[in-house]
Amino acid sequence: MAIGWTFFRESSLSELFFPIFIFCLPFTAVLSWLAGREGRLRRAVAWFFAISLILGLVMAGSSFLSGSAINLDYSSHLPFAFAFAIDRLSAFFLMLICGISVFVALSSASYAEHYSAATWKWYWSLLPLFVLSMVLVVAASTVFAFMLGWELMTLLSAGLILIEGDSEERRRTLFIYLAMMHVGAAAVFASFLLFVPHAPTLTFAAMRAIGASLSPYLRIAIFLLSFVGFGMKAGVVPLHFWLPKAHAIAPSPVSALMSAVMLKTAIYGFIRLVFDILGAPQAWWGYLVLAAGIISAILGILYALSEHTLKRLLAYSSIENIGLIYVAMGLALVFQARGLPTLAALALVAALLHAVNHALFKGMLFLGSGAIYQSTKTLNIEELGGLMPRMPTIGVSLLIGCAAIAGLPLLNGFVSEWLIFKSLLNGSALGLVPVFPLLIGAVALVGTLACACFVKLFGITFLGRPRSPAAEQATPAPENQDLALFSMAALCILLGVHPGVVLPRLYALAEALLPNAAPPPELAAISHTLPIVAAAVCLAFLLALALRRRTSRQVDTWACGLPRLTERMQYTATSFSKPLRSVFRAVYKPTRTVEIEPANGAYFPVSISYQSVRTTSFEKTLYRPTVDFIVAAARQLRRLHTGNIQAYLLYIFLMIVALLVVLRFA
Amino acid sequence: MTNFIVNAVQLLILLLAAPLLRGVIGKLKAIIQKRQGASVWRPYADLWKLLHKEELTPKTATFVFQAAPMIGFAVTVVAAAFLPLLHPGALLGLDGDIFLFVYLLAMSRFVISLGALDGGSAFGGMGSSREALIAALAEAPLLLVLTALAILAKTGSLSEIARWTIAQNFFDVSTVHILAFAAMAIVAVAETGRIPVDNPTTHLELTMIHEAMVLEYSGPSLALIEWSQAIKLHLMAALMIGLFSPWGMATGGSLLGLAAAFGFFALKVLCLALALSVIESSVAKLRMYAVPDFLRVASALGILAVIFTAITRR
Repeated sequence: MAIGWTFFRESSLSELFFPIFIFCLPFTAVLSWLAGREGRLRRAVAWFFAISLILGLVMAGSSFLSGSAINLDYSSHLPFAFAFAIDRLSAFFLMLICGISVFVALSSASYAEHYSAATWKWYWSLLPLFVLSMVLVVAASTVFAFMLGWELMTLLSAGLILIEGDSEERRRTLFIYLAMMHVGAAAVFASFLLFVPHAPTLTFAAMRAIGASLSPYLRIAIFLLSFVGFGMKAGVVPLHFWLPKAHAIAPSPVSALMSAVMLKTAIYGFIRLVFDILGAPQAWWGYLVLAAGIISAILGILYALSEHTLKRLLAYSSIENIGLIYVAMGLALVFQARGLPTLAALALVAALLHAVNHALFKGMLFLGSGAIYQSTKTLNIEELGGLMPRMPTIGVSLLIGCAAIAGLPLLNGFVSEWLIFKSLLNGSALGLVPVFPLLIGAVALVGTLACACFVKLFGITFLGRPRSPAAEQATPAPENQDLALFSMAALCILLGVHPGVVLPRLYALAEALLPNAAPPPELAAISHTLPIVAAAVCLAFLLALALRRRTSRQVDTWACGLPRLTERMQYTATSFSKPLRSVFRAVYKPTRTVEIEPANGAYFPVSISYQSVRTTSFEKTLYRPTVDFIVAAARQLRRLHTGNIQAYLLYIFLMIVALLVVLRFA
Repeated sequence: MTNFIVNAVQLLILLLAAPLLRGVIGKLKAIIQKRQGASVWRPYADLWKLLHKEELTPKTATFVFQAAPMIGFAVTVVAAAFLPLLHPGALLGLDGDIFLFVYLLAMSRFVISLGALDGGSAFGGMGSSREALIAALAEAPLLLVLTALAILAKTGSLSEIARWTIAQNFFDVSTVHILAFAAMAIVAVAETGRIPVDNPTTHLELTMIHEAMVLEYSGPSLALIEWSQAIKLHLMAALMIGLFSPWGMATGGSLLGLAAAFGFFALKVLCLALALSVIESSVAKLRMYAVPDFLRVASALGILAVIFTAITRR
């Protein structure tokens, strides 16, 4: 072990290992085409993928712990600047990508079994390439390499979504996804291009060197463009429109990757550009990010609460969690702008930890919903129920996942939420603006709504009586599915009970991004307290166990004197969320129609039909007008396209004249 | 070491005297309503009886149903360990434990709600759905109140807030304290499920909230739930005393001071119990859909309290 460690610490060896790792991923894709129909070879593909990811994880981990950067420059062999540099920040996100992908690989091994041979090959060749594209994004140290990875990431994930069919509906969704991603990519690219006249080359190092000395207006433009561009990928409200649609139709392991990891590449990009390259933020940048974050968090969880399809619900909850990460990043920016690097470090650690936590529990929940789908062929919560005795292993791990995402103590979600709360409290104690203490109330609201939402998800899906024959006949998940989910659940507990294993390391990363920071005392305090609290809870639990006699008799649930209860008498997910939905009616703006037949006979109706549709108001008020405007503008532009060659020659001539004029006077 | 003993003793008081508080409230209500009423020790007898009864579990129930009362009890007990009672200190605590305290209470609600859904009947779902509504609207004002006081005291720890308050002059109370106290009173009623938000003695479908959740529980599990609920009531009383009226807590380690502190605490709890009994005897339970409005008042007061902190300190 020790020998292996020094082996990897040698940076020259790491520089050798990185290309090997990079080549392992496309090689997995090649292997999948060779594997054919035989089961053992098929499993070998999954294992090869998992092992190469573990190789990447170890490499990134050693670089993250030691802080020694890996630099690889291929620019001399290529006509453009193409280089990788893995510093602490890159290594952190690389670990996240590789770590979650290992679990996805394990889970995919059984998930992909139900595909036909051709689809199976496509799945296993696109999946490693998708992971590769994300690795490119976080490892890149030039704009070219970054944008290459960024675009491939979009296209390959779109390809993976197409695997499960290409109906009209799916194509429409995919079109929205691609369109929005390209608008986002354009914004990101534009923000990079604004460096062009000032930086000698478009490498991150050159950009970092001049980042702080750019003119203030240029810096604001770069910040705003990156805020929009990365916000689009991260799914910040109101740029979230694509997210629940695309995540819901992807194969479950791919949804897990998209939600747990792909969204985090946007967080990486934002931190890289704003904290690392630009530096020295202004306070209003932070307030903007904070506002976007808290709005995303509240709306995300409210929409999740009203959703009754597992994957859509989880996708909306991703918006909530991204919102919380943005809140923490916004705080870090505000504190940094006010010259409080230590407080900024605490907030940034909260953001990074929440990124890890969200990757763990959201990945787990998506993989678990994949297992549920495999077993019951439905993702509609209203048709599930009673899965706990039928799929006990999935049930136990998802219970831990739901508790973690609800932010309950002794699980990882609580630690990052506590850090966010504490950062907000630190901010309010400074008396800068009375906004921070009010945000504590808002984040608390998000926390309780998340609790309600995941009580609904778990309680209705796994507990009670099965609500359909499909749920009744559900079968346990395959073993490698269990292995992936249990390991993720164990990590959730480990980080929740003993956050001391990661917090100092995350601080080391934050310190590198925030000059003059000192270790915040909160990190040591929470790492010290939570194990004690965990021990206390265990003690009290043992006391309760001693008080409660073991013997119990099983009886039918009391049915108010009726012969027996049926599954239809239970509360459904809709009825569970009804009180909260009616309180937050103003957000949902549902359109309700009640049809009573015959219309005039109110007392003896033949049939009553009721329909309640919640449209996201963003579609009506923001997206539709934007799309309409673009289409109308395109119509106007079409007038220029006369099809007459003389006209086109005239355009070219005018363009040349215009350019000459500009070049003369600019 | 003495510190540890005092902390342990105050935790034991919180846990063991909790059923007594219920009994006292029942007795006070009986007196106000001109009834004889049961003995104040009755809740202990009830717990004893339930702990020795056979437990019946629904056939659909899984281990979640069995574990929920135990986990709920465990985290409520640990939450109690954060509260100052005899002196401004507690077994557990850190700068920022106000959040941990609130989230531990949320955890107990989370597991009990799941246990309720495990029964497979309509009542459990009804109870946990309504509980989710009340929790969602009560937790934010609770944290706002705690934040307002934390800002004034410049610390995020419950014991340290109490220590800071003791050092202040009682007659020098700030607007923040008045607003926060009003918000806290509403939240405490909602969190502990008392009239006018919930009626702990009802078993009518239309009105049950907490009782609907625990309807399927019996025997020792029910005893644990009842006890946790009693502890939660006592805990909220101790929280209000610790935040708003900690004067009388022992600041030194003398035995006499501690005894006096205990006397003061008992007196203050009695006052709160009397107030609660008067309210419960004179006010009707709110309709389910009027509860959010009631809790919005708490949120508004909490928001005002927080805004006033910015003004008071200048």
